[in-house]
Amino acid sequence: MDWQGHAPWLALVGASVGTYLCRAVGVLMAGRLNPESEVFRWLSAVTYAMVASLSVRLVVLPQGPLATVPLWVRIGVCALSVAVMMSRPKRRLVPALLTGTLLMLGYGMLT
Amino acid sequence: MPFSPAELASRRSAFREGMRTAVGAPAAVLFSGMVGFGALGYASQMDPWLLATSSLTVLALPGQIVMIEMLSHGAPWLAITLAVTLTSSRFVVMVVTLFSQLDDRDRQPWLYAAVHLLAMTAWALSMRDFHAIPRERRAPFFLGLALVCGLVTLPGTLLGYWLAGSVHPAVTLAMVLINPLFFLLTFTEVRPWANRLAIVMGCVLGPLTYWFDADSSLLVTGLVAGSLGYWVDRRWLRKPQIASGVG
Repeated sequence: MDWQGHAPWLALVGASVGTYLCRAVGVLMAGRLNPESEVFRWLSAVTYAMVASLSVRLVVLPQGPLATVPLWVRIGVCALSVAVMMSRPKRRLVPALLTGTLLMLGYGMLT
Repeated sequence: MPFSPAELASRRSAFREGMRTAVGAPAAVLFSGMVGFGALGYASQMDPWLLATSSLTVLALPGQIVMIEMLSHGAPWLAITLAVTLTSSRFVVMVVTLFSQLDDRDRQPWLYAAVHLLAMTAWALSMRDFHAIPRERRAPFFLGLALVCGLVTLPGTLLGYWLAGSVHPAVTLAMVLINPLFFLLTFTEVRPWANRLAIVMGCVLGPLTYWFDADSSLLVTGLVAGSLGYWVDRRWLRKPQIASGVG
């Protein structure tokens, strides 16, 4: 058996099963939680903190091509996009997304 | 009590509404994210079919990126399994917070299949919209939304892999950025103060804890920033609201 060649696929099976189990455990527990309860409020805050930390990680500590862009450029582009998004009470998602995308595109073209 | 014919009709339209919510910016963003992932896999000299399969079976970009990174460093498969599962630990609470808002009649075994489609995009949009959707319409709404999101992952990944060598690197840069940027933008629409505070503190604490210990970073950040946000809200922010509501 050529384990060297199979190792990535083995890792993929492990990663997929592990990820699915996390989702399934969530379903198992969801029925017992009352969405009006204090536990729900606390758990929501914990979840948002986790999701936020993961999103910021993709910007601040990226893998691959983004890692070649200086940190201040990455943060600056994101900050500008968020500013566009919040510049009106009715959020402007598409203009904000375009701001970030075009700025990063421009940076990549100029360097 | 089963769903009435009127409710069933309403559920069918909720399913279509979920699909409509996904088509446009959310699906485009997820597609770009997967294109970025395909490009990353190309740069790491991965098998495109391994990348494509991971988009279907893991269906969670952060975990997939961790996997590719560790594979390219030659990490053992068991270590990769553990690291990806830790990255996916957020799903436990994401599913609990979202699915606890479903109609009790939707607590059926098929949820165990539907939950596989739950990833960040569908979760963020459902959390945003659920409060305005009647209970019996929530599950089909989520399903329509998550199905469209799930469908774009495979073509996105393969396209990213095949485009990576041929487009200007600037395009790949923009594609990779658009996914995390989308989540940061949707966070500005979150309403409860406990969650807002948790997000801000999570953004600051996340990279710091990652620097100390990458494996425990997500759990520690979630517990500390989330609990702090909840506590500050409960201790100082919520009371005046209740008082003014009564007065």
